[in-house]
Amino acid sequence: MDKLNIIYVDDQREVLSTLSKDLEVFEKYFSVEECESADEALELVNELDASGGLIALIISDHIMPGKSGVDFLIEINNDGRFGQTKKMLLTGQATHQDTITAINQANIEKYIEKPWKSEELIDSVKILLTEYILNAGIDYEKYTPILHQQTLFTILQSRV
Amino acid sequence: MFKLLLSIAVPLLILFIPVNSFQIEGLTIIEKRVIALFVMAAMFWILEPIPIYATSVLIIVLELIMISDKGMVLFRSSDASETFGELLSYKAIFSTFASPIILLFLGGFFLAMAATKFRLDQNLARIMLKPFGNKPKTIMLGLMIITAVFSMFMSNTATTAMMLSILAPVLVLFAPNDKGKIALALSIPLAANIGGIGTPIGTPPNAIALQYLTGGNTISFGEWMSFGIPFVIVLMLIAWVLLTIIYPSGTDSIELKINSTFIKSRKAYIVYITFAGTIILWLTDFIHGMNSYVVAMIPVAVFTSTGIISKEDLKKISWDVLWLVSGGIALGLAMDKSGLAEHVVKSIPFSSYSPYVIIAGASLLTVIMANFMSNTATANLLMPILAALGTSVESLVGLGGITTLIIAAAIAASMGMALPISTPPNALAHGTGAVTSGNMARVGVIVGFIGLLLAFLTVYILRLVNFI
Repeated sequence: MDKLNIIYVDDQREVLSTLSKDLEVFEKYFSVEECESADEALELVNELDASGGLIALIISDHIMPGKSGVDFLIEINNDGRFGQTKKMLLTGQATHQDTITAINQANIEKYIEKPWKSEELIDSVKILLTEYILNAGIDYEKYTPILHQQTLFTILQSRV
Repeated sequence: MFKLLLSIAVPLLILFIPVNSFQIEGLTIIEKRVIALFVMAAMFWILEPIPIYATSVLIIVLELIMISDKGMVLFRSSDASETFGELLSYKAIFSTFASPIILLFLGGFFLAMAATKFRLDQNLARIMLKPFGNKPKTIMLGLMIITAVFSMFMSNTATTAMMLSILAPVLVLFAPNDKGKIALALSIPLAANIGGIGTPIGTPPNAIALQYLTGGNTISFGEWMSFGIPFVIVLMLIAWVLLTIIYPSGTDSIELKINSTFIKSRKAYIVYITFAGTIILWLTDFIHGMNSYVVAMIPVAVFTSTGIISKEDLKKISWDVLWLVSGGIALGLAMDKSGLAEHVVKSIPFSSYSPYVIIAGASLLTVIMANFMSNTATANLLMPILAALGTSVESLVGLGGITTLIIAAAIAASMGMALPISTPPNALAHGTGAVTSGNMARVGVIVGFIGLLLAFLTVYILRLVNFI
């Protein structure tokens, strides 16, 4: 079975622990990994990719010591290995310009502002994972319980 | 992992048992290999250690290696003993990938793909839903009719996905304890499963059935619809009444929104005309002489030459469904051509059973298996045996022989709909969270049982009017 990974990056411990609680529902189907910096995350995705793992989704904070979240996501976006990977920016401190760069250059699929609502985040993650799984040519059947139903129906109806 | 090992070990064991220990007189070595292949197919399709379409590919490849005239030398050499049997032509095995049945389905895929691409399905759904007002009860009937009609030409899964995406925004508006929600969510997969019976391309088991109805038993597209459609109408009305009784709605009115308008472009008109034209040609074979398989290639040619289906679209075709059926045809071919099917049927004293028991037993077995595994795989496994039964058991001939048995089994294969795992439409409806497995089982078992009785009634009437 292809191993699907969700990676979240933030420099604050409290944020990581809240996120980890929110993302708990996905742990049965995905391997959920946390990182404290962009560099650590880059190292991790390289490692996972080399061992045949698939990166389904990256959730990243923006302002972090070292590499910024937007720069990190641009790097991911320009990397052919992660062409299908979904990217979400989760931040409270991105400037107007940062946001524009994130959309235009990192091609982020979702922008969620801190502080976030649990249900909103989980719903967004579900949508992105559903899109990833159906577009990346992975058999969706065994993931059905965790997928975003409306998104699943919309994509499936165009398949014959 | 255990499932995989078991599914490999048992057939291997059969390969190594001496032929004469099978208690079937005159069994050849080739036939014994086919038994091993059949057991392997059955175990792989039931236990599913690998995807079901992969099992089909495996069957074809193993047949080519083990029982074809261009197979591995190891399997070809015989000490010229009579018990070796006849090797199959490798070309015949290869041609199962492109049998007329497969191409009929391909034609159906092209129609469905073009219709979806140009939103013909959404637009028809919007228009057809209008007369049904806004009461949950009548809307449900409307949704079921639309779902059933679409699933006759599109895959049951795509139809269900489309209808659920229309329905899902409404489902969340229901009060948590309103049973009407369950009825609505269940109505879609029920109608999709039932509707598939309507045409030969509605669902793969129908096409597999046609594969075994050859020569004097051939059934045309229109002939299939002449009993398929009435069956669908009656069973769907029963299912609708049942749903309204078991899960009455406490809501007065619901509003379904379908945002779509007819596309008015040259390509869109070609799609509309080709869609209607193909169906008309399918129904009028007695005028123009082209059978349904030939007609099915017309939309393929029209849509590719006009660019309506692009080469990118071609990649979206469900090859898994086509290959799943191919494997079944190859399995049937091996059982028939090696002589195994007839051999086995003759060695079991079926003739001493009442023909009614045989038909009822076969249909019941089909519906039970279809509940727990893929309907198509069920048909793949059972139809070759039933075809042999139908032609060799004397007492069945009076009841329509092979045709009766095969049609009853084809309908029964679509009646397996009691569990979320029974069919993809069921799984999708269960995924909405509005329906529990219990809800589904209650309605699925009742409708499945009534459907089975209705299938018997159908073949009985067909026999009365001398159709079979």
